[in-house]
Amino acid sequence: MLKYLLKRFFWMMPLLVGISLISFFIMHLAPGDITTSEASFNPKASEESRQKLRELYNLDKPVIVQYGLWLKRMATLDFGTSFASHQRPVFWQTKDKDGNVTLGMIQEAIPITLLINVLSLLLIIGIALPLGVVSALNQNQLPDRSITLFVFIGFAIPGFWLALMLMYWTGVQHAWLPISGLQSLGHENMHWFAQIMDTLKHLVLPVFISGITGLAGISLFVRNGMLEVLHQDYITTARSKGLNENRVIYGHALRNALLPLITIFGLSIPGLIGGSVIAESIFAIPGMGKLFYDAVLMRDFPVIMGILTIGAILTLIGNLLADVAYAWADPRVRRGVVQ
Amino acid sequence: MKKLLSNPLVLIGFVIIAGILLLALIAPLIAPYDPEAIDVKAILLSPSSSHLMGTDGLGRDVFSRMLYGARISLMVGFVAVGIATAIGIVLGAIAGFYRGWVDTIIMRSVDVMLSIPTFFLILAVIAFLTPSIWNIMIVIGLTSWMGVTRLVRAEFLSLRNREFVLAAQTLGAKDARLIFTHLLPNSLTPIIVSSILGIASAVLVESGLSFLGLGVQAPQASWGNILTDGKEYIQFAWWLSLFPGLAILITVLGYNLLGDGLRDAFNPRSSQH
Repeated sequence: MLKYLLKRFFWMMPLLVGISLISFFIMHLAPGDITTSEASFNPKASEESRQKLRELYNLDKPVIVQYGLWLKRMATLDFGTSFASHQRPVFWQTKDKDGNVTLGMIQEAIPITLLINVLSLLLIIGIALPLGVVSALNQNQLPDRSITLFVFIGFAIPGFWLALMLMYWTGVQHAWLPISGLQSLGHENMHWFAQIMDTLKHLVLPVFISGITGLAGISLFVRNGMLEVLHQDYITTARSKGLNENRVIYGHALRNALLPLITIFGLSIPGLIGGSVIAESIFAIPGMGKLFYDAVLMRDFPVIMGILTIGAILTLIGNLLADVAYAWADPRVRRGVVQ
Repeated sequence: MKKLLSNPLVLIGFVIIAGILLLALIAPLIAPYDPEAIDVKAILLSPSSSHLMGTDGLGRDVFSRMLYGARISLMVGFVAVGIATAIGIVLGAIAGFYRGWVDTIIMRSVDVMLSIPTFFLILAVIAFLTPSIWNIMIVIGLTSWMGVTRLVRAEFLSLRNREFVLAAQTLGAKDARLIFTHLLPNSLTPIIVSSILGIASAVLVESGLSFLGLGVQAPQASWGNILTDGKEYIQFAWWLSLFPGLAILITVLGYNLLGDGLRDAFNPRSSQH
């Protein structure tokens, strides 16, 4: 297992180099250099802040030196300070001479985005598993047909539009759920239990919106996986030796159908992180997605580059975890019998 | 073709897409108003016989804007996927045909691109450029070629050692001839299916970007930026949110039905399920 882990870990290194190349390339996309384009978009950008930008990315040095320094920044996760938010550190907290700590912007935003994504993964598993199984066991009958219809609509519905409709219906028309932010007014004065309930209520709509596409995808995936497995010889064997049908389905078929799901979850991480832009900016939730969106609007380049890199690293970590989980669940993989 | 259209999914998808294509083509003929004409006397009118889908906050006719918005959606879908497919075919063909270190480099680049959250990547590029319809199409195209590359490579790898290819090679066919007359035509079906599904997601991405104000810019109409207005007036003007959202939903559904239906129709194995 350790050997597998190490191999898998070193596999990430060339990917990190590739990510650094792409982000470096994006930084140099702007016509001229980014200091002049920043000035033309934002007339208030002072000569001082342009000078800062030049220093931050070493724009006066040769390209190869610039790249080397960018690589060093990535390796030490030092993305400088924000232009728009009073020079706050982009990634992690810093301490000044007097010992005052300033929290990093990504540091504050990451837990919120991770919480929403973990909750929406739980929601996906909780709903998509039963839907997929029911669909497969009633192949081509009414339940299967209606679930398939739901899947097609789930794939096609624009998340931001569904968010708007739900905001209107549950928030404006009926006032069942709060539609913006993470806390109600007076949150600080509540009992701790009421505080948790308050935040959870704020999370219902964003979690549902970030999960909707995955919900459709995973339902379909579980359905097809179950159908595939149910036609295998070992299922026929299990049935013919007189095993209880429930044991056949839940003990044998489902377990094998679920295995590839681990990989699918790993692959869906970049989509979830990227999708947080829409859900978070609509519901005004201060996570990575909203931070990124605001940074794009204000052309706050250090924040953009920081989140782009951290988002990619999170994806790599997620894929690594998925592979490790797969190897843990399937001994054939960890012993290198199958890829 | 006749056999394909007998599949109900393909038929429904085909009718939806053909209908939208037609509406977009004849938009100037059937649009009752100029989509960008502001009319201060007709602000936020609800749907009626003179304004089928009502008017927006500047008194513009929503039905006319929807028709012109259809042109944007279709164009973005086709151009973005055209770019992605072209890149994917070239890279996938090279990787699958020549294998070796070229293959390794191309496939590692695919892995790198897949590990950066696509929506972040698109937004980051747009932050450094100016948002415009052309930039959007190019950026979506440049960030969505990975699937096609993998697909074409896999097809080439499996076709490469088939008898007809080996026979052609033995007869002295050059690489280019092998690729263009033997391998590529035999990989066409999955490429078409994945392109159609790709158009569906390009339409969703464009409308999302326009909704966020980073895509098609006002006064030009797109379904996404009509929805931005819809958000602002959601308490007073439901029609501003309902129609563009439905249009996106139906269009994407149409492409997905067409793509999935074609895949089932061409793949005898998947129709067993």
